[in-house]
Amino acid sequence: MDAKVDHVLIVDDDREIRELVGNYLKKNGLRTTLAADGRQMRAFLDTAQVDLIVLDIMMPGDDGLVLCRELRAGKHRATPVLMLTARDDETDRIIGLEMGADDYLVKPFAARELLARINAVLRRTRMLPPNLVVSEQARLLGFGDWRLDTTARHLLDAQGTVVALSGAEYRMLRVFLDHPQRVLSREQLLNLTQGREADLFDRSIDLLVSRLRQRLLDDARQPAYIKTVRNEGYVFSFPVQLLENPS
Amino acid sequence: MRRWLPWPRTLAARLSLIFLTSLLLAQGLSFALQTYERYNSARSLMLSNFEHDIDTSVAILDRLPAAERATWLSRLERSNYRYQLGTGQAGTPMGADDEPMSVKSIKATVGGRYPVAFETIEDSPPHYQAHLRLSDGEPLTIDVRPSIMPLSPWLPLLLAAQLALLVAGTWLAVRTAIRPLTRLARAAESLDPNQPAAHLEERGPTEVAHAAAAFNAMQQRIAAYVKERVQLLAAISHDLQTPITRMKLRVEFMDDSVEKDKLWSDLTEIQHLVKEGVAFARSTEPSREPAIRLQLNAFLESLVFDYLDTGKAVELSAPHELVITSRPQALRRLLTNLIDNALKFAGEAQVQVQQHPGGRLAIQVLDRGPGVPEEALSDVVKPFYRLESSRNRDTGGTGLGLAIASQLAGSLGGQLRLSNRAGGGLCAEVELPGAAGAA
Repeated sequence: MDAKVDHVLIVDDDREIRELVGNYLKKNGLRTTLAADGRQMRAFLDTAQVDLIVLDIMMPGDDGLVLCRELRAGKHRATPVLMLTARDDETDRIIGLEMGADDYLVKPFAARELLARINAVLRRTRMLPPNLVVSEQARLLGFGDWRLDTTARHLLDAQGTVVALSGAEYRMLRVFLDHPQRVLSREQLLNLTQGREADLFDRSIDLLVSRLRQRLLDDARQPAYIKTVRNEGYVFSFPVQLLENPS
Repeated sequence: MRRWLPWPRTLAARLSLIFLTSLLLAQGLSFALQTYERYNSARSLMLSNFEHDIDTSVAILDRLPAAERATWLSRLERSNYRYQLGTGQAGTPMGADDEPMSVKSIKATVGGRYPVAFETIEDSPPHYQAHLRLSDGEPLTIDVRPSIMPLSPWLPLLLAAQLALLVAGTWLAVRTAIRPLTRLARAAESLDPNQPAAHLEERGPTEVAHAAAAFNAMQQRIAAYVKERVQLLAAISHDLQTPITRMKLRVEFMDDSVEKDKLWSDLTEIQHLVKEGVAFARSTEPSREPAIRLQLNAFLESLVFDYLDTGKAVELSAPHELVITSRPQALRRLLTNLIDNALKFAGEAQVQVQQHPGGRLAIQVLDRGPGVPEEALSDVVKPFYRLESSRNRDTGGTGLGLAIASQLAGSLGGQLRLSNRAGGGLCAEVELPGAAGAA
């Protein structure tokens, strides 16, 4: 067990929200630092390391998207970022993820949900750091005949036709693609695939794998992509590459 | 007021009627006048020739020796009258009332010198004879066969040509007047403030160009109003988000109590309302989302699995291998609203895909809930309209879900149709433009 307390940097221009969130997280055992804008954020990160950054998108001056891009290009590229967006809109979510955010939360949110998300992101990055870093420039993952668009969260087949994925399917495929050629246990898969609403509480990982195989037109008896490892779990046995954006 | 003929309904018919009637009347009148004039002058000319000719001929015959008269007869003969030596045919004496003009002419010229008797001969065609005795006592008969003045053979042709010209002119004039009006009506009909304005061409006659310019300006004004309204809604809801966020955060610091729970659910309700308001405002804006080719079955499965994964009862039956071109975010939002609605009222939902002949396809969301009263079916898609039964429930919602769905269906080039199912429940059908066919 890690005795170290996780350090979270909260960047939001609204003083009250900043402080309320900070207090809540502190109450729940996290260390927090508050920053009102990009200037304060940069000043702090010049000298310190944090475990996670909560970043509001809508801010005067440099907005969250600009700051996120900056983080991904600098020495803090590996630090997970959780975006706060004011619009429950796909566009904002997509842009946020394009800029390299690890997750997003729509305002108004509940503090306990933010805490849960922070813990989930930290757990994911701690447990199995991804082999590939998806960036703004390269956000398509290619394998076999398929490409996965990591911002729109759907598959593209060889003809470029969109094959949609459910939330759980996307998360599981993403776990596999982030860790190719590596045997993942059911427990690991469950932990990493768990979504915001803990929606897999009742679902077996096996069912999700079979749905994913069906989606990838993978023959369950002789799978080309996701192979079963007896008594151990599953392995994604196809090489994965980062692709430049087509546009 | 009595009407003998129904006044035509269309402007084109009315204008044509007015033009044609007045032009035909005017043309007819001038034609009749001309004909009458011509007839009169021709007749008086002919009669004076006739008088002169008869006068001369009778005088010649009178002077000639009786033996030579017969040889002259053929030379004095004309097309509609000739001379006979003798008493002629027997006929009925002519009454004074039905004397033709030529009789008067004969009376006026020859009648002064010889007593003349007129008899009508009932032959076919009927003609008459004038009997007189020359100065030597020999009888002379003038046989007159009045003939109608021959009509020129080209006259009917000319009339037909004139009529054709009238009809063509009327048609052209009516078309010129009606066409811009039809164009304007069509533009007004297709006017949709949520779509980019279709610019009406400002050309043609001054009045038409002016009307088109006025229409374009009106269209722009409407679009500006709608945009303003949407911006207002978006601005208010955005500014509400910060205080709601603060309040929610504060509530979470409160000790657990009934009051805290109530406050929390009130805040959630406000938040939901704000969210739906923004979504509605945005659904009326032209979308920037591009349309892409997508596998319909995978798309619907991903949607339904998300519901199943959170323990909701949603069923799907869709044909495989169907590829459509659509905007997935808008379509997802639209179907989510319909499914949420079904779940709210029935606790379960069924999603089906129907392929119609002609390439159109329909996605149906079916439930076995209470349905909607027939008379309210068209009202429930209006913003903020709620059924009484729904308003009284805790699950009442914002009254925007179906309005957003309807707007989005329109923006996807389709249509949302609601109907009650046989056996109870609601069927919400989204008809989408043609599928691209099999993958």
